[in-house]
Amino acid sequence: MKKTSAGIGQIWNWKITASCALILLAIGTLAISLGPIHLGFFDILKTLIGAHGLEGQDRTVLLDLRLPRALLAALVGAALATSGAVYQTVFRNPLADPYLLGAASGAGLGATIAITNSGGNIYGWLPIFSFVGATLAVMTSFFISGRFFAEPNTLLLSGIAVGSFATAVQTYLQQRHSNALRPVYNWILGELTVANWSIVSWSSIYILSSILVLVTVSKKLDGLLLSDEESFSLGIDPNRLRMIAVAAATLATATAVSASGLIGFVGIVVPHLVRGVTHRVTNRSLATIALVGASFLVLADLGARTILSPAELPIGVITAFVGAPFFLFVLRTRRVSHQ
Amino acid sequence: MFKKYFVFIALPTMAISAGLAPLAHATVAPHKIISLSPSATEDLFAIGAGTQVIAVDQLSNFPSSAPASKLDAFSPNVEAIAAYKPDLVILNSGATKAESVRSALKKLRIKVYFETAPLDMTGAYKEITELGSLTGKGPQAQTLIRSMKSAVKKAIETGRKKSPISIYHELDDTLYSVTSETFIGRVYRDFNLVNVADAAAKADSYGYPQLTPEYVVQSNPSIIYLSDAQYGTNLASVTARPGWSSLKAVTSNHVVALPEDIPSRWGPRLVDFYQFVSKSIAGIN
Repeated sequence: MKKTSAGIGQIWNWKITASCALILLAIGTLAISLGPIHLGFFDILKTLIGAHGLEGQDRTVLLDLRLPRALLAALVGAALATSGAVYQTVFRNPLADPYLLGAASGAGLGATIAITNSGGNIYGWLPIFSFVGATLAVMTSFFISGRFFAEPNTLLLSGIAVGSFATAVQTYLQQRHSNALRPVYNWILGELTVANWSIVSWSSIYILSSILVLVTVSKKLDGLLLSDEESFSLGIDPNRLRMIAVAAATLATATAVSASGLIGFVGIVVPHLVRGVTHRVTNRSLATIALVGASFLVLADLGARTILSPAELPIGVITAFVGAPFFLFVLRTRRVSHQ
Repeated sequence: MFKKYFVFIALPTMAISAGLAPLAHATVAPHKIISLSPSATEDLFAIGAGTQVIAVDQLSNFPSSAPASKLDAFSPNVEAIAAYKPDLVILNSGATKAESVRSALKKLRIKVYFETAPLDMTGAYKEITELGSLTGKGPQAQTLIRSMKSAVKKAIETGRKKSPISIYHELDDTLYSVTSETFIGRVYRDFNLVNVADAAAKADSYGYPQLTPEYVVQSNPSIIYLSDAQYGTNLASVTARPGWSSLKAVTSNHVVALPEDIPSRWGPRLVDFYQFVSKSIAGIN
């Protein structure tokens, strides 16, 4: 591992970020080129740049099925990876993931309430309810743990308590309304199956602005890796910074969850992957983490809709099945390089 | 845990057909139909529209001549469906994101017949009628319904009990059951069978409550129907449960293994189910 005494600003290399952006672009193009229906690659490119390309049903397949799905995968991947990295910094805990503060169980409860009470159009209400559920659960964790958490571990524990409570209510509701089981089960598995432009447009607003906020404060976030006294001495108000960071990460997570259900592992594997490969712990890598997270999920979703084609494979299966061994490999090589 | 729920709630829901949003009558009968519903598949073949079907989902295993495909009825893949270039898709409202799938198919200009689970025989007949008029097999559909109605009536007349007999229908070995408000529960009711699960009707809005073992023992049903027989539950395993060996159903050997699929498909084979129940209670008083 290279040690350098250079300032934090010079440690992070913009070239890495730029090449990750290019990789995302390449993976995205690959993703929209493949599927059960064969579409000509050059026709796809022509259609995308607005020239005379695909027509009729093929055009709809590309523009209304594949493109929004790939974009949503990228947004959700970026949101989960960035939030995961930020939570890991805020809680000084390498195992922290975006669902830690009850966002997942809160969203699950919201989704269950939507499904059990909506009668007809479940899917119109589901994203809103799960978004509200996730946000409320995290806020409750905040308030229970006292004045905007003096101690990260207290917040973590209250997050676990709130999560268990929400799960209990969810299970009770399911027991009372067994017709909700299947939709809730599906939702928990995490699905990008039928993404459409309206989901992409509203989720991009929240996710992109959250990531923007996090990248803006990323330089300061490194201060949270130190003790509170030390970060004060660097001119950082740790409580305020933590609050901003958790709020932005929660907004991104809640949006991702409500748009696509629970997709595990991205929030843990991607930040560690980037840190492992680049040997950098700094949060200056947040933009790169977002891009790698986006690429990872677009690729995983490509697998989800092609491996068992024409059936779908839940994307969470792929993120863990591919992510876990790869992650272990990175951990191992990093360990070796330390020696 | 979810998996278990999934099997007994989702399968019937999905497999079930009926009560649907009627579609405008087509001028030309569709001849490239995809059925993503095992019940609808059975309906289509029974009314003679089988030759118009180009693909069925992987759970549509009856009749055996149905063109099996790997299409998934639970998680329909719009693009994979479109690749068949169908002119009519039968989609169950219980499928994942069914509404979105429907609108995506409509965007691709593919006609969709959206079916929801029926609550009773009327709902099942309604689906057959609608599938008949959609596929240009209206008269055949009416003939099928008439023969089903008369066969069901006959089965009830033969089997119906004069005095009520109590039954317990088991979905799984954690004692999930069905009330008389479910489709399957109504079949039992037609035979004057008293469902012990009805006492727990308020526990689940959908009619699938989980009973406590103590209650089942106390209610002492005369017949036990095992829809979990396909997962290995049988007379021996039921008898081995604490307190169950003295149940009337067990001592009189009236623990009945239900056939796979038939009770959860609301198509022409419903007649088979009525006949099965009728036979199973013959000679019991």
